[in-house]
Amino acid sequence: MKKHIYLIAALLGLGVGISQAQVQKGSVLIKNATVLTVTKGNLESSDVLVQNGIITQIGKNLAAPAGVNTIDASGKYLMPGIIDAHSHVGLDVVNEASAPITSEIRMKDVVNPTEIGIYRALAGGVTVSHAMHGSANVVGGQNATLKHRWGSMDPADIIMQDAPRTIKFALGENPTRVHGRGNGIQPRSRMGVEAVIRNGFNEAIQYKKAWETYQFAKNQKGNTTPPPAYNERLQTLVDILDGKIIIHCHSYRADEIYMLINVIKDFNIKKVVFQHTNEGFKVAPEIAEYTMGASVFADWWAYKMEVYYSTAFNAAILQKNGALTSINSDSAELIRHLYHEAAKTQRYGGLTDEEALAMITINPAKQLGIEDKVGSIEVGKQADLVIFEGHPLSSYAVPQMTFVDGVKYFDIKKDNNDQRQWVAATEMVEPIFLRANEEAHRCMQDVDAYFEAFQGAFLKEKH
Amino acid sequence: MNKQFLKAGMLGLLVAGWLSQAAWAQSDPTGKRRVTSTYAITNATVFKAPGDPGSKATILIKDGVILGVGNSISLPKEAKIIAGDSLFVYPGFIDGAGTMGITKPKDVERPKDFVSSNPPDEIAGITPWRSATDAYAAASSQVDEWRKAGFTLSQVVPDGGMLPGKTALVLLGDGKTTNFLKLNTALAANYRSSRGMYPATLAGVMAKFRDIYQNTTLVIEHERLFTLNSGIKRPQATPTQLAMIPVVQKQLPVLFTASSELEIRRALALQKELGFKLILTGLENYESVIGAIKSSGTPVLIKLQVPDDKSIKSQKADGVTEATKAQYARVKESYDKALKQAAQLEKAGILFGFSTADAKATEVQKTLKAMLDNGLSHKAAFAALTTNPAAILGISGLVGTLEKGKLANLVLTTDTLFKEESQIKHVIADGYVFDYEIKKKATKAENNNGKPDAAPTAVQVEGLWEYTSETPAGSSGGEITLKRENGALSGTITYDDPTGSGKASAQIKNASLTGKTLSFEFDVAAGGMSLTVTISGEINGKNMDGSLSVPQMGSFPVKATLSSPSQAN
Repeated sequence: MKKHIYLIAALLGLGVGISQAQVQKGSVLIKNATVLTVTKGNLESSDVLVQNGIITQIGKNLAAPAGVNTIDASGKYLMPGIIDAHSHVGLDVVNEASAPITSEIRMKDVVNPTEIGIYRALAGGVTVSHAMHGSANVVGGQNATLKHRWGSMDPADIIMQDAPRTIKFALGENPTRVHGRGNGIQPRSRMGVEAVIRNGFNEAIQYKKAWETYQFAKNQKGNTTPPPAYNERLQTLVDILDGKIIIHCHSYRADEIYMLINVIKDFNIKKVVFQHTNEGFKVAPEIAEYTMGASVFADWWAYKMEVYYSTAFNAAILQKNGALTSINSDSAELIRHLYHEAAKTQRYGGLTDEEALAMITINPAKQLGIEDKVGSIEVGKQADLVIFEGHPLSSYAVPQMTFVDGVKYFDIKKDNNDQRQWVAATEMVEPIFLRANEEAHRCMQDVDAYFEAFQGAFLKEKH
Repeated sequence: MNKQFLKAGMLGLLVAGWLSQAAWAQSDPTGKRRVTSTYAITNATVFKAPGDPGSKATILIKDGVILGVGNSISLPKEAKIIAGDSLFVYPGFIDGAGTMGITKPKDVERPKDFVSSNPPDEIAGITPWRSATDAYAAASSQVDEWRKAGFTLSQVVPDGGMLPGKTALVLLGDGKTTNFLKLNTALAANYRSSRGMYPATLAGVMAKFRDIYQNTTLVIEHERLFTLNSGIKRPQATPTQLAMIPVVQKQLPVLFTASSELEIRRALALQKELGFKLILTGLENYESVIGAIKSSGTPVLIKLQVPDDKSIKSQKADGVTEATKAQYARVKESYDKALKQAAQLEKAGILFGFSTADAKATEVQKTLKAMLDNGLSHKAAFAALTTNPAAILGISGLVGTLEKGKLANLVLTTDTLFKEESQIKHVIADGYVFDYEIKKKATKAENNNGKPDAAPTAVQVEGLWEYTSETPAGSSGGEITLKRENGALSGTITYDDPTGSGKASAQIKNASLTGKTLSFEFDVAAGGMSLTVTISGEINGKNMDGSLSVPQMGSFPVKATLSSPSQAN
């Protein structure tokens, strides 16, 4: 019998081995770069050796083992792959806007590895993005953390399988507009938003209890307790309560931020990151004390009523108050120059190079729960790396090569005009026009189409 | 021959006929009842199964069953003879999943207390208890079209939302009998979300599918406890859960419509997670996912249609930039790859058949030719039309080959199956014989009057045409006016106004005349939507015979006559 189990375990182990083997891992020696480790200072003309996707050595005069390519990065900068803690790139669906709580929705179901936005993000040095559900619901779907392994056709290959689960929450105007004004149900107000969250968690507690009762009874002799209904929506909320999922909460105003802090304190939830957080500077000490910090725009606000009060000093104020802070894109365009966005914290707030770079590397890594794997250049970490011409915080910075797990997925010298992975056999080729109106912000994608059926009063604002 | 003998023979035939009819005990005032249900195809070249090189044989069928295939079969007197000397006989084609003859059920009225975040299953497109049989009309013109293309059996798929209902196997025989061979053969599933309610997106559909599946599993457990013990809360299975039980118990496969590579991967992932039996259908783009299909062991039904070549044909050779040329090359590469996919399935050893859903019956020959020209073997194409779908549907004992005891489903052609000049002369489905007109294709000699350099006979296309078409809504018609300006064809068409009475008119687009084939498109506004209707047909003198096709609805026969030709300039 024991032997049997062992055999099964071995088989399962083998299965895992096979499925992971599909993700490509590379080996490379990058020489003579200015290495910006982010966590361990800057190293002048140093080498970084990557073996089988992992950083194995950092130092001077390293020799390439047999079969490992060497890249000369003299005069160039090497930094950890940029991490975007708020993105919707690589998703076929963003919002399942039909209910105030849709925690059963998984963005992993709708990942599209062929979306060109992934390649463009790589060209901006971004190796990991947090592909989030939109902000139409108080509790949205579970997000997917993506590794930009461009070229794979299988969604499973670009999902960072070893990243913890995260989920989208949203406060304020979006959920009240969609559900209250658009659909005549709770939440119609900010108070309603709080009630939806509290009711959700309270129901989840009862759901957990019902299942625990059943699981116990099931194993008793002569059990007569029937199973309760399965509800992945509530089960996901249970997992949040049990600390298995990190909340990423769309928020703007200080009052609603403080409201959610009170809610999580009441339910003893520790893992919360605030997204957007434009009034975060008003409640920075509270954010620092009770949460995993805030992920903010560098200098973007005033696109709707609840975002009128903000400042470009937001990130710096949060950071100086001890709140873990990252700069995100929430945009297929901004994701291409997050290093530039990070530099704005130096103009507005005077952060050091290391503090500014941390905003797009190790800090978002911590907020996604992957700081032990990526976010800095350290021995033992996954080799997500970017080579820059010019310092990444300089206005003249241009990414040259981007690596994920030691595999080069972007090289400015091999950047073809047409990088699409997939072209329809029936595509009518039309002349290309360069346009600036990138379909930029997708937080409310799929919501308009959803609400056409209601003919409800809808405003154009998207965030 | 002695006249006396002949008379006796005639009498014998009459008596035999009378005897066989006597069982019906009623007269037939319509005069449409067939004289016999016994047929013999004599001395034909018979291909019993894929790989069979073909040999001369006689096939005897009776009451929808093959009584024998061979050279020493004694033919009963009541057998109607089909002289097969110049014919080639194949097993009738099988459609793995189709929508011919299926109408979409009417939307259910929303209750007053309707909440879009938690709608009743029936309104949200979750109706697994429905059966395709309730929505199937054997007399549909689509059924006629597919039978004309050689199909004798179809797994019809109900229309509706994400879980529209159960499929059924229908024989494309006489429309007046019960044509159902097997009910509830698979649960139809797709990624269709519900408009304005949960599940409103693909992500919602995936989550809802899991929810239904898991709760059905729990209902089964509850039912089990309830049966074994007393004093237990009554299980409250919903109609959805009751209909899902055979799926969860892996007795019934899920027939998942997945056309693109991502859709296929999503269905495979869901199958891996939940463990149901899976058949994939409607595959269009699957080149990169063939390995995953193979390793999952999932049978597939590919769409019986190759991508249209409009974009390839519209590529210009001159006057375009290098960048445009590079884009052209990529589209061409995708197009070529798409045509090779079927051959790659064969190479990978994946069990595959065809699905006629959303495909055009009039283009079957063209589609098969494209696949064969791109590496698919004749044997594999033959199998994909016959034995493979029979195996996928679990009816190999009944259909797929020509053998004694199998159902009398046959296709009789004028040449070997995949030859370009081969035409279908008869289709026998469920023992009923359908005859088709053989079009005499103009040979080169006729075209050119024997003189190689002579210009081909001009086809008169300009002028006023009157047309009629047969659609499920009935017979309709109108006028087509065509004229040629600067070499390009243009004009207008009138049609029965779908939104009211009278005629509506539309501009003709993309008109072209290739050889004798005229084709054009026009837009019809209906219910706030614009549909593009395509008409194409072959012109012979002043007559045109062809089809009218409407996206999502199928294609219907159309006939036109040039009532007042324009005078040649």
